[in-house]
Amino acid sequence: MLPALVRKTWRDDRLALIGWAGGVAAFTAIYTSFYSQFQGAAELKQDALPQGMLDFLGIADMLSPAGYLQATIFSLVGPLLVLMCAITLAARTIARPEEDGGMELMLANPISRAAFAWQRVAAAGGALTGIAAVPWILLMIIVPWVGMDIPLSNVAAASAGLVALVWCFAGIAFLIGAATGKRAVVLAVTGGLAVATYMANAIGGMVDGWHWLRWLSPFHYFIGTDPLHTGWHPVELLTLVLLGAATTTAGVIVFDRRDIGV
Amino acid sequence: MTSDIAVFAEDLTKFYGQRRGIEGLDLEVRVGEVMGFLGPNGAGKTTTIRLLLDFLRPTRGHASVLGLDPRRDKAALHRQIGYLPGELAFPGRDRADDLLRFFANARGGVAWSQVTGLAERLDLDLSRSVRTMSKGNKQKVGLVQAFMHRPALLVLDEPTSGLDPLMQQEFLAMVREASAAGQTVFMSSHVLSEVQQVADRVAVVRDSRLAAVERVESLGKRAVRAVEIHFDDPVDPAEFSALPGVSDVVVSGPVLKCTIDGRIDPLIKAAARHQVVDMLSAEPDLEETFLSFYYHAEGAGDASRAGA
Repeated sequence: MLPALVRKTWRDDRLALIGWAGGVAAFTAIYTSFYSQFQGAAELKQDALPQGMLDFLGIADMLSPAGYLQATIFSLVGPLLVLMCAITLAARTIARPEEDGGMELMLANPISRAAFAWQRVAAAGGALTGIAAVPWILLMIIVPWVGMDIPLSNVAAASAGLVALVWCFAGIAFLIGAATGKRAVVLAVTGGLAVATYMANAIGGMVDGWHWLRWLSPFHYFIGTDPLHTGWHPVELLTLVLLGAATTTAGVIVFDRRDIGV
Repeated sequence: MTSDIAVFAEDLTKFYGQRRGIEGLDLEVRVGEVMGFLGPNGAGKTTTIRLLLDFLRPTRGHASVLGLDPRRDKAALHRQIGYLPGELAFPGRDRADDLLRFFANARGGVAWSQVTGLAERLDLDLSRSVRTMSKGNKQKVGLVQAFMHRPALLVLDEPTSGLDPLMQQEFLAMVREASAAGQTVFMSSHVLSEVQQVADRVAVVRDSRLAAVERVESLGKRAVRAVEIHFDDPVDPAEFSALPGVSDVVVSGPVLKCTIDGRIDPLIKAAARHQVVDMLSAEPDLEETFLSFYYHAEGAGDASRAGA
């Protein structure tokens, strides 16, 4: 039996969870299912955009199956969607209930501070993993079905990267929420960090002499290895996961030490 | 630290930056006792309660609750505590019964009849969503979750706020029963009269410091009473103002108004020298006694009472 707090967390967040899962599923399914119809439009888009813009958006080419998937699901909108989901759900673990006061009664139960934090993380992290894995599951079905010529193992590697990216940013968002207890700070700082590191990866890939910059960006470890062409890169994925685990652990420790609801 | 002390605080102090929450609180609440915790808004009542429950960490000093450390033993301790927050907010948008089921499960199971029994007593409809409830009904849900697992210690922050007078009486009966069953109750309030009916002792905080700890009965004995005497003819205030225990003498024509602290005999003897038409003596008003704690008594008088 799962802890009461985990079940309670899921129940309280169920509308948001269903909404996000549905949104991510619709986005993935619509873009990929109409692969063949989009081809014409993709050509137009590719011709219309200058090469620099394509590089910045992380689009190599929109004509090959891998390029199409990269452009539609993995380069901009996909990560944007799941990261927005990750940041808002992470803000709900501690910052939001602390601000609205509901946390006090959740903590007034026989549970240590650290156990409370871990259970909230487990509930949010579990749900988040499920939502971030939606593209993975759907692509495993849709890619063969619409006849995209791309190894499923490569699609799985890129999809796994999306999950790892979500863990990384969810960990950061959790840490900020656990430390400050302020929802606005979580959204602003983590959102800002996501935009900044996305740009760092893009600029690092485009501008000579700035290549080192991309090593600072989680997006590089997610998509910079070009998993749709080159497959699995365990070290890069592990880096993201460890970053998420480290920030989460730090968040639990900080939360265990501070005053609540001041 | 003996086992018959439920709440023990020693030099308990909390500063929020420069702002003082509570300072140098020494307090003992005995097992099975009902202690009222009184003070005006912002005096440090909620800060103290939140320190005892480990929401806040003391700047200085320490507390122990049921012989346990609020921080180190939090999980074990909270199994034995029923807590009603002063600022009541419930997590989620559940119906009251689903919310209470969560609390029951989180506390390792509670007989459901216990919950329905309390809800019936308080006339609470459990099938409604807590979000849509009035303040009074939310307060009832808060009381049910605090009492439902029959905790050894009830920590209640402003428990009657939002309740109508009938429900306030029902709540006081619940406190009496809890006390009779050996449960300890520590409840804060800024209204003395409600505490006075159930508490064995009251602790008064004012301006972040403990001003007094008194048995409720002894407060009555000490109380200042207001006396008004109507004479046939005008009287001289000087005749009365020098009497022991008499103060605030105001004479307007044949009417004397004063307050008296302690024995009333000297005033009666002095008044008997004149023709007395009427005499009014207000019941000892604990509320007024406490107002004097809050707003007047300063310095030495306070300190000696705090030791009582």
